[in-house]
Formats: sequence, C-alpha cells, structure tokens
Amino acid sequence: MALSRRDAMKFTGLAAVTAAASGYAKGNESPKSAAKGVLLSPAPIPAAKGPRVVIVGAGPSGLTIAKYVKKGNPNIDVVLMDKRSVFMSGFISNLVATGILPLEFITHDFLEGARNGNYTFLQATAHEIDRTAKVVYTNEGTVKYDVLVLAPGIDYDYSKWTNGDVELENTLKTKFPGAFIAGSETLSLKSKIENFEGGVFVQTVPGGNYRCLPGPYERSCLIADYMKRNKIKGKVVILDENPNITIKADGFHSAFEKLYKDYITYMPSSTITSIDPHKQKIVTELGEEIDFTDAALYSRVRGNKLLEIAGVAKDSVFNKAEANIDPFTYQVIGDLNVFCTGDVRPMGFSKSANTANTEARVVAANIVKYMGGQELSQKTWTSPHTTCYSAVESDPLRAISVNAGYAYDETKKSFGFANASTMEKWDSADGLAAGKGLIEWGNGLYRDFFN
Amino acid sequence: MERRGFLKVIAAGATIVAVNPSLIRGTLYADDGRLYMAYEKVQLVDGAGTPIKASSLEKEVTYIFNYPYASTPCMIINLPEPTEQEVTLKSDTGEEYVWKNGVGKDRTIVAYSAICAHQLTHPTPKDSFIKYVPKATPTMAYSKSGIIVCSSHLSAYDAHAGAKVLGGAATQPLAAIVLTVADDDTIWAVGVLGSDKFQDYFRAFKPELKEFYNGIAQGKQLVSISAKTVKLTEYSKEIIQY
Repeated sequence: MALSRRDAMKFTGLAAVTAAASGYAKGNESPKSAAKGVLLSPAPIPAAKGPRVVIVGAGPSGLTIAKYVKKGNPNIDVVLMDKRSVFMSGFISNLVATGILPLEFITHDFLEGARNGNYTFLQATAHEIDRTAKVVYTNEGTVKYDVLVLAPGIDYDYSKWTNGDVELENTLKTKFPGAFIAGSETLSLKSKIENFEGGVFVQTVPGGNYRCLPGPYERSCLIADYMKRNKIKGKVVILDENPNITIKADGFHSAFEKLYKDYITYMPSSTITSIDPHKQKIVTELGEEIDFTDAALYSRVRGNKLLEIAGVAKDSVFNKAEANIDPFTYQVIGDLNVFCTGDVRPMGFSKSANTANTEARVVAANIVKYMGGQELSQKTWTSPHTTCYSAVESDPLRAISVNAGYAYDETKKSFGFANASTMEKWDSADGLAAGKGLIEWGNGLYRDFFN
Repeated sequence: MERRGFLKVIAAGATIVAVNPSLIRGTLYADDGRLYMAYEKVQLVDGAGTPIKASSLEKEVTYIFNYPYASTPCMIINLPEPTEQEVTLKSDTGEEYVWKNGVGKDRTIVAYSAICAHQLTHPTPKDSFIKYVPKATPTMAYSKSGIIVCSSHLSAYDAHAGAKVLGGAATQPLAAIVLTVADDDTIWAVGVLGSDKFQDYFRAFKPELKEFYNGIAQGKQLVSISAKTVKLTEYSKEIIQY
C-alpha cells in the first residue's frame, strides 16, 4: 500500500470546500478560510511528551489499548479519541433494552478512564488520515502520531437488502435499527420493547461474521420473556440467515422450546429478498411473507468506513472492508506504524467485547515492544479469549456461557477455536450461577476499561 | 455477618511495619525486592479468636482472611500434596520473582490474594466467583482441577506453583501472601509477594468499602495482631463456580 496520502488529500472534501469558499486560490497563497484555520491547526491537547500513540475508537479495544500501552511504558504519550461523548456498551445492552438492568449499568465516563489511565481523551471525529505525514485530521484539528491504532468497530452493510438504495437503507436504519452499535439504537430498541402492544416482533440474524454471535438469540429470549411477564400477546419471529443458531445452539434451542414455545418462532436459512418498511412486510427467498408490527433488523456488518479513509481496508473471507493487517501482529500490510484491532480485524474471531479486551492486552504489550525497537511476528502473538454469557430468562436471571481461545492451523492458514467449552444448561444450578456470572463478567470489563 | 468485629485494625495512617528480615529469609526472594512488601505480622485466628493450627486446616477447602488491609480478601488452602518449589514468576510489568514454596509440615499450605489479577473479581459477603477447585470437581476453565479458578472470566491459576497463570485472560499470577508457621503450629501472615492489585481495588470498589467496611478509610486500614479466618462458605453467602 504505497499510495501517497498527500496526493489523496488533494481530493478530499476539505480541500474542495476550502477552494470553493475562497474562490480562486493561486500558487502558494493560503486561502483565508476559517474552516481551514481550525481544522488544519493542532487539536487542543497537550504537546506530546514522548513518542505518541493515537488510538481512534474508544470501545472495548481502544480503551484497553490506551490503558495498557500507558501502563506498559509511561513515557509513551497516549491519545484516545472517539466521536462519542459518553460510553455505552453493546454487551449487556439487551438486558437494558428489556428493562432488567438500568441504563446506568452500560453507560460510562470516558474521562474517568483518561484520569485513571493517565492518557489524553479527545472527543473528536477523525475524517482523514495522512499516513505519509502521520497525521489524523479531526473536527477538533490535527493530531500527529508515531503509532496509530484504528479500533473503530463495525459499520452495517445493508447492500444485500437494499442493493444501494440509500433511501431504503436510511428508512430501515431509522425505523428498525439493528441495535448492535450501542447508543441511540439501544434507546430505540428499549422504547420499542416498552411500547410494544402486541403482534409480531421480527429479529433478524445476519450471515457473515457479525458482531455478538449470541446477541440476536439472547435478545429474542429476553423480548419473549418481557412479553410473558407483561402478558403481551406477541411473538418474536427470528429470521436467521444461517442454517442453525450460530453459537450455544443447544442452550438457545432448549430455551425456545421450554420457555418460549408460544412466544418465539425460529426460522433458520431465511435469506431476505425484500423488506417493505412502510407496509412492514418481509419476503424471504423461500417465498415466505412475514408481516411485522415492529422489528430490529440486524443487517450484515462490515469494517468501519474509517479503514477506507485510511486506505487500509480489504474484503475478508467474512465481511467487506475489514482491516488489511498481518493477523499475528495486527500491523497494516506495508505500514508497520498502523495497527487495526477489535471488530475490524479480518480474522474469524468472535466480534465481542471480551475478545477485543483480551486481544487488546496482547496488542498493547506488542505496541510497547515495537516502540522499543523490537520486531513483531507470529512468535509475539498469543490468543485472545472469547468468554461470554447470554441471558435466557430474567426472573430469576439465568444464562448460558461459552469459553474459548483460538489456535492457528498452519495447513488451512486460518484460525479455529481451541480449548472451547460451553455451559448451556440454563435450567440447572449452573444456569442460575451464570446469571450472576453475567453481571460480574460485565462489571469486570467496565473495571478494566475505566478503573 | 458482623463486620464490625471481623478484624482488629490499626488506626488509619499507620505506617507499614517492616518485618524482621530473618522471618522472610529462606521463605522468599524477589529479584530486587520491589515485588515484596512486608506488612504487620498477623496471626490467623478462627471465628472465636482462637489461633488456627496449620494441621487443623481441612484439605482442599478455601478459607478466607482479610490481609494486609481490612478489606482485601486472601485465600489460604491446604493442598492435597506438597507444592512445587522455587517457582519463577513474572508480573505484568515484566519483573521476575521467585515464589519459594508452600508452608507447614508437608509444604502443602499456600495463601494468595483473592483479588483476581485479571479484572479484580473477589469474594464479598454476598458472593464469590473465585476459589480453589478441588481435584475431584470439574471446571470449565481448565483441563484439570486442583487449581484456583475465577469463574467470572475463567482465569485459572496453579495453586501449587505460586498462582502461576494456567489459562484464561489473566496475564500475571495472583499476589502471594507470605506465611510462616511457628513451632507451635500457629500460622502468621507477614507480607505480600508479587504484583498486588490493592490500589486498583480500592479505586474500583468504593461503594463496596462503604457497604461492607463502614467506609472507604476503614476498608483501607491495615490489619494488625490477628485476622479472622473462615471457610469461604461462611464468608460468602453464595459461591459461584464453573
């Protein structure tokens, strides 16, 4: 990837706007644009007091890397940026949307993480990255880096449903958000469930390697549980693009059967061919027509567009526009100073907070080594851990869980689960214990991010 | 549980009492001393205040005492067989230190901080996710039992080898509590070896210090004279283990 970002900058919207605002700027005269002055000046953060790591995206991956790079070498200047002013987690959010836990549980303070972790938090949106000059352009101004970490997470990929129809995509996003990117979507889902009077609630499960494999099934259980608790005559219809439940299948199947027989209809291998957001009707490849009252339409996912802006995106085996990185070092192919982590990684790891958190500990240690002059390789890699709990019932809270690492298969040239185990007996004492485990698991993650 | 009488604590602000080096010589050594901190020498006593004898500790049972602070729980376990010896361990910061061995007649008694080195999960009067898992009890966290498991994120630690990490997300061992067994078979805690998580714990659990220890400052008081030691099943209302 030897393309010059300097050249690319000439074509950015910023340059165009500047030219338009100032009329005709010739030669080296600098145009008198207020926008240029603000956007091309350094962002209002302290000058770097050592080599600087800039992390874009303060989710589970970015928060963990910021903390542990600083811990690993306090002389490194760490800047963590995010466009949001408040942290809200996707994990545990199904319990919030269904009224089991308060919103405060998943809502946290970026500044607390910056104070305790001794790094700089900058609330800003990155809109351009010049990898030659090593500068991130943001709405707050420019930020120079020595090492850049891109951890921006997923975007949705609606193309299979909309075929490029932007109006349809926007309508779907507004009326029936997938609620797998935490924030307004989470609040929308919460109010949809609270205000549901009866009828069919559709939850789709996408193909590809989507974020939070058990999430749509857990949510379906909890919405059904909500209907049961509140005596709402309703049904959750799960339209799953996959041939079977993608994880903890025994546990979810048994919960659907034993707890929610009258409340959940599970439809595997359901490829959607059309969605009418106004008549609220979905048609599948098999010709089934589903009329729905409300829905959480979870589309396929792709790497966040920031990767394309940075020129580091490449379609993976699973999803579009994920990170073009060495799978062991997380460094961009051809640009060792740029790391991509978390849900933008192209490896088939579970796109989940615990995976991102454990992965980030390893990457943070490797960034410290790299900045100390060491070369990274397969030998400096250790596996992330995927440990997660899914609630299936609220009162008492019961859950199922999975615990797995990953190993690289040299012949297949791909990663597979290693030492995987699951606990899927939600109706046993273990299921009750896992309900408590789920809460402590979440609190542990928040502690690691912010304490 | 009556928390007021749980521990005799010394006044806030009291300095750490240096332990006589003769006490620790031959018991442990950290490469440059930075990963060993001597605290007040404290005797482990039962619920009635009677000194606990090393030989009376039941095998494979997790007991809890709070040390070196009023709110920091530790595990003491009498293992089924002698521990390994001279185990070299590494902290997150890359510092190496040596955990010498278990104590007692058969070298089977070990003590570790019960604050998980991963994300600070620990026993409270309400519940506990961390404990020693006896050899006959299976665990999701690792292929064999007879180890310490934190069932929050399934980190597994080798109870026989200085709480070295065996599996899961933890990246450093549990801090070890340095014990001595006196000639009369009584047990004493004298210091902490390895990278402890006490300051992170104090910062993260302020509401808990208020709830269980009558205040943040009270929870941060150093323990002196004696530490009440009870079975985990008595200490926590509920034990969660996979």
